[in-house]
Order: sequence, then structure tokens, then C-alpha cells
Amino acid sequence: MEREELKKIIYELVEKSMGKKKLKQSDILKKVSAEHGVDKGEVKAALRELMDAGKLIFTYFGGSYVEIPPKEE
Amino acid sequence: MAELPQRQTDIGPPHYEQFLPPVIKKNYGKWIYHEELGPGYMVHVAESGDRVWTVRVASPRLLSTDTIKEICDIADKHCDGYLRFTTRNNIEFMVDDESKVEPLMKELKEKGYMIGGIGSRISNVVHTQGWVHCHSAATDASGIVKALMDELHEYFTSKDLQARVRLAVACCVNMCGAVHCSDIAIVGVHKTPPRIEHERLRNLCEIPSTVASCPTSAISPDPQKKSVKIKLEKCMYCGNCYSVCPSMPIADPKNDGVAIVVGGKVSNMRSHPMFSKLAIPWLPNNPPRWPEVVDAVRKILDAYIADARKHERVGEWIERIGWEKFFKLTNLEFKLQHVDDFTFARETWRMAATFKW
Amino acid sequence: MGTKHKTPLLDDLEKGPFPSFVTEIKKAAEHSEYAQDLLGQLELSFKEKVTHWKHGGIVGVRGYGSGVIGRYSDVPEEFPGVAHFHTLRVNSPSGFFYSTKALREICEVWDKYGSGLTNMHGSTGDIILLGTKTENLEPVFAELSSRGWDLGGSGSAVRTPSCCVGQARCEWSNIDTMAITHDITHHYQDEMHRPAFPYKFKFKVAGCAIDCIASIARADMSIIGTWKGDIQIDQDEVKAYAAAGMDIQKEIVELCPTGCMSWDGSELKINNEDCNRCMHCIAKMAKALRPGPEKGATILLGSKAPIVTGALMSWVIVPFMKMEPPYEEFYDLVDRIWEWWDEYGKNRERIGELIERLGFPRFLKEVGIEPHPAMVKEPRRDPFFFWSEEDIEK
Repeated sequence: MEREELKKIIYELVEKSMGKKKLKQSDILKKVSAEHGVDKGEVKAALRELMDAGKLIFTYFGGSYVEIPPKEE
Repeated sequence: MAELPQRQTDIGPPHYEQFLPPVIKKNYGKWIYHEELGPGYMVHVAESGDRVWTVRVASPRLLSTDTIKEICDIADKHCDGYLRFTTRNNIEFMVDDESKVEPLMKELKEKGYMIGGIGSRISNVVHTQGWVHCHSAATDASGIVKALMDELHEYFTSKDLQARVRLAVACCVNMCGAVHCSDIAIVGVHKTPPRIEHERLRNLCEIPSTVASCPTSAISPDPQKKSVKIKLEKCMYCGNCYSVCPSMPIADPKNDGVAIVVGGKVSNMRSHPMFSKLAIPWLPNNPPRWPEVVDAVRKILDAYIADARKHERVGEWIERIGWEKFFKLTNLEFKLQHVDDFTFARETWRMAATFKW
Repeated sequence: MGTKHKTPLLDDLEKGPFPSFVTEIKKAAEHSEYAQDLLGQLELSFKEKVTHWKHGGIVGVRGYGSGVIGRYSDVPEEFPGVAHFHTLRVNSPSGFFYSTKALREICEVWDKYGSGLTNMHGSTGDIILLGTKTENLEPVFAELSSRGWDLGGSGSAVRTPSCCVGQARCEWSNIDTMAITHDITHHYQDEMHRPAFPYKFKFKVAGCAIDCIASIARADMSIIGTWKGDIQIDQDEVKAYAAAGMDIQKEIVELCPTGCMSWDGSELKINNEDCNRCMHCIAKMAKALRPGPEKGATILLGSKAPIVTGALMSWVIVPFMKMEPPYEEFYDLVDRIWEWWDEYGKNRERIGELIERLGFPRFLKEVGIEPHPAMVKEPRRDPFFFWSEEDIEK
């Protein structure tokens, strides 16, 4: 799968989940890997690109989650 | 703003080798023995015949950059520009020649540094952030440590004990400072359940993870309010729900306080490592000097000093004399809270007819 | 600067012989508004007996989920200097040795962008830079990382590994704790900076069973140096300890937990087969006794503080492992453990708690570790155990 497509899938998964269930990094790796038959390592690399670009961020509430950054405070 | 340098990621910490004093680097892995020469002063001897003298001083852990620069000045002047910190927040100055020790100690004393903490005495207190920086603190940590060590400083600087006595302070039961295996430790505790801010909770917290956070299943969903509810009789005030959900504050100034636990150790010397056990379930927060807490620690320490044998840690002493005698010697009241009803309860009940009157 | 707020309660803690943290905050308050308002807010906490910090949340440096602890004041109008007061965890070098040059560099960056207050060190072993604003996080990170410093762990990630002084300055260290810690830290940079675990995972490395780093109490994986073979005895030095006043019978032989020693006034004998390597005799007679020749480590797993269902100490999972570069056997073991934890661990469940929940035998079987009597204090007391398919006759 193309990297950009994979990034889109990951982003949409996080977007859909916002406000319902906080996703951990491993939730995303497991789900995307299982549903799209992509190696976990590849999902991880794509997720990292989204993080490095600031499209997704890690948050912390008694545990670390992946979320979409809030609009300006 | 001036342009920033290029950031780097995942480079890890710098290699320790560049920070080793030359005598340490040269004799790395080749030390043969060491001797304690005083309460805050020891020498290590290497196979090569080289020696390194270490002088240890206390720090409050919370250090200003001004103080760090001052200790750097001292290390530049006496120690070729190297120093280290211990796991208990002491500062160690190392020199490679005996003649350098005296001037170093003289300057440290002149500048008001407290030399000590090596060997069978009280070393620095491992502690957490408390009100200085923590959102879940049930008490302060630095304040208690300061009050305690002002009282006990002679056991850092001069007086001998039967063995090391390790003190620790944790400002809540998260115990960032691993208080659960210390000779005498103080831990911040709550006595009342969290309050639920339903309006905020709805937006801020995830119900399933909040419910799951409770170790005693006291929290359940409240679908009507789109929030949660608490079975008060089940709550044991651990505050874990507050860690997961900020809308369940548990701090209660009137009822927050500290418990004192004793007899833990991590060393395997002689006896197995031991958990600390409850000596006093609750004492009030009484800043700035927590007199009730300082008195209680003093009382436990005095009983240990009066009754323990040489090399015996607090936990080993209590194990030898029995907990029933510990309460007698320390004159501490044995209360309902001392009897365990949690995870390890069964293991702690006396299944024998032998005990001391 | 410095005297913006009256702080009578805190001022009292400047008195007395032990070094004062209040004095430290006041020193910083001479040149930092953060520190001034920290004094004010802390005085309020001392007065009201309650913390005035709010939950963390979502601050960090780009791409990392670790190394920054978000902190906000709940009384920002009164103390605007600490409205944001975020902490950076900077990964300390193994063994906590520093050159003054390096320390001064860190101070310079922190004076420019932060409160001028630190912890040397935090409980886990990071250099703690205590208090700055959100917009300063990236600049501090750029300044520090360009000088060779990286952030440590926080959240559901590998936390900054730490160790005792080890072979740098201790004759008892059976393993090179500083080298091992450095290697682990660099090996797991991604796992440290991009949290992917159910919860935190801590490594601590101790050179011997005295465990000066408290690994057995506060590391999910405790690596404790040990040996095989006979304790090396210098009988002349034993006699010298006796001559200097040590009661060898009482202080050494009778305190040996396994009763494997004897002393007839001129020779110390050790039945090494019965020794459990507790370190008492070696520590008390450093000149006379030294650990045996074959060095390695015991690997223990699972310790944690009481949150949530009670404190645990680490217990033995590998009785003896050589700890030599490139540490393949070790990393292979860690990866297998993490895979199992990732599969079954719940949110905020430490590895020790997961093993308690699912069972130690199941852990051993699924992770592929052979059972060994060293792993238990005693075998089970009950007759309720599982068998596998292959154990059953069909």
C-alpha cells in the first residue's frame, strides 16, 4: 500500500475515534495491520510521519494516546 | 528571536565516558576495595595502585542553576572539572590525590555544604515533587524532607547507626520515589473519596477507562448523567481515577495527610528485600514543619537505636523482635487500619499461637 | 526581583542546618519570574494544605510522546508566571557523572528558556528541568538536542533506564552497569520517545545484590549483577580485620543467612555451594573478600509501587545471564516479553500485574522460559494446576 494512502487510513481512524474512545499507538497498529493486511512496522512508520508532521500528536491522561491536535488554544 | 539550532531526535543520552574523571576512566572495572574514612568521605583503591577519594554532600534535590554553577566552580577548582550525583540526590566530588581532600572539604564547609551520608547512617531522603510540581500530591515532599533532616541531620554528618537507615517521602500512593521498600517512609494519603464534576467529566473523560481505573470496582457508569457514580463504601481513596480522569478531584485539605510505613529495604544483604509496612495510618498535614510527622519518625528511630543489633536494618530488627513488640517499644497505637484487607491480606494474618505479650 | 510575594511559611524552611529547597527557589527568583510565582503559589499550598497544579495533558515536542510533563496552575491569575509550568525530562548519562562544562551548558539553556530550577535528579533518574511555557518547549529541545542531549521517557513508554555507579567506582559490581544502561537506552529510543505500551516500563541495572539503585523495588525489569564460583578470600586481610577489632564470628559468620561460613580464629572457610550471594560478608570485609570469578546477572521482572492493586517487588525470571555486548540474548528476551504484554496487557497494566492476572506459569510457557527452582520461594500449596494437550494420554 502506498504510504500516503496508509497515512490517510490512520488519520481517519483517529478522527473517527475522537470523542468516543482514545486510541493507543498499539490499538492503531493492531487494527490497521489486521484490517488492511499491512505489516505493523509499516503502519508504525506511517504513523511516525504523521506525528513528525504534527498532523497527529501523543496525549497523556494516565496513559499515552494518539489524537488530533486541538485547534489553537 | 534568534534562529534556533537544528533539533535532533532519538540521539539518546551522551556517552558517559566523556564525563568520567581521568582516574575513574583509567581504573574502570579495576577497583579492588574501598574504605570509609569518615561520615562523608571514602577512598577507592585500584589494582594499579591509583586511589580516588570521594567527598559526599547533601543536596535538597531541587537545585537552582545558580547552585549547580557554584558546585561546578568547586569541581573546576578541586576536581579537574568533574563531579557526580548519587541515586539519593547527594553530590560527590572526587579527587585523585590525598592532598586535595583537605582543601576541598574546607571549601565545602565554608560554603555551607553538609558533608556526610556514607555508611551506617541516614543518607539523603529520596522524595517526590509534592506541592512544588505535582497535581496528585496529598502532601508536600520537599517541606517534610527539610523538616525531617533538620531534626536528624546529625545522623547524616556524624552519628553512627547500627546500619543504614533509608528515609523516603512520597506525596501520594503513586510513590514515584519507591517508598514501599524504605526503612522509614512517609506517604501522602487521602481519607475521602473523589468528587465527581459531572459537567466537565462528560467532555473530558472516557467513561470505560475511568470505570476500569478503580481497583475496588467502586466506580460504575451513570448513563443518565453521561458520567460515572461511586459506591462510597467501596472506595479506598487511592486516587487512581483522578490520574485517568481530571474531573474526579480527590484532594481534601482537611483530611489529606500522611501515613508512615517502616521496615522496608531493597538490599539482599543477610535477609531478603522487604516491603515497608504500616506503622501509623494517618498524621495531619501541618506545614511548614509537620511536627507530628517529625516526632513520629524520631520516636521510631529512637526505638531502633535503643534496641537493634549491629548491622541490623530497621526491617530486620522488627522481624527479630516481632511487630507486637515494635508497637510496644515505639509506643504507637495499633489500630483497625493496621490489619490488612487488601490484595496481600491473607499472608499478613498471624496463623500461629505464638506471639509476645 | 525575588520578593514579589510574602512567604512567611516557606521562609521558616530556610532556617535549620539541612540545605533548603526554599533557598534554591529564592535564588532562582532573583532572575526568574517563574520562580517568583512558584514561591507565591507554593506558599498558598502551604497555607491551604492543597496542591495548586492541574492535570497535564497534551504538551510535548514535535514527534515525541515523551519527555515533557505538562503542568498548569489552577490559580493563574494570581501567579501568571506559573500559568504554564511544564517539566522537561532530560536523559541523564549513565552513572550520573558530569563534566562541569556539560552542566554549565544545560544551565545556560535553562536560564534562557525556563525557571532556572532543576531536580538532580528525578525519581527515575532524569535531569528534571522544572517549569517553562508551552512556546519554549521546542526551543529548549532544539538547544539541548543540538548539544547532544535528548529527552527521557514518560507516559506509556520505556522510561529512562538508570543504574548504580557500577564498575566506574565499585569493586563489587559484577556487570558493567553503565555500559549496559547506555546500550539499553540507545537500543530502545523509539520505544522511549513514542509511547506504544499498555503502561510504563522501567529498566534498572544494579551491579550486585546490595542494589544501590533499588532496581528490585522500582524497575519492571531489574538486572542485578551476580556470580558463579567461589568467593575469593585473602586470609591475611581477614586476620587484619580481626586484629582491627572486628568480631568475625558474630558480625560475619553468625549473620550469614545460609550458615555457610566458619571461622576458627585464623582461617575463614566458606562452603560456596551453600552461599546465596547476599553480599553481607563481602560488603563488611571489602579488603578480604571478593565476588567469584564468573560474572553475569540475574534478571527479575515485575516490580512497581502500590497503585493499583498493591506493591510488587521483581521476581526471578532468568537466574543467570551473561551481560556482554551485543546483549542479543537479553534483547531477544525483552522483545518476547513486550510482545506478550502488547497482546494481553490492559490500559495502565504493568507487566508484573499482567503476570499476576494471567499467571506466572502461563507467562513462562508463552514467552518461552524454562521453569527453574530459583524462580520461586516455594512451590505452590494447592493442587489446582493446568496441563497441556501433550501431557494428556489420548
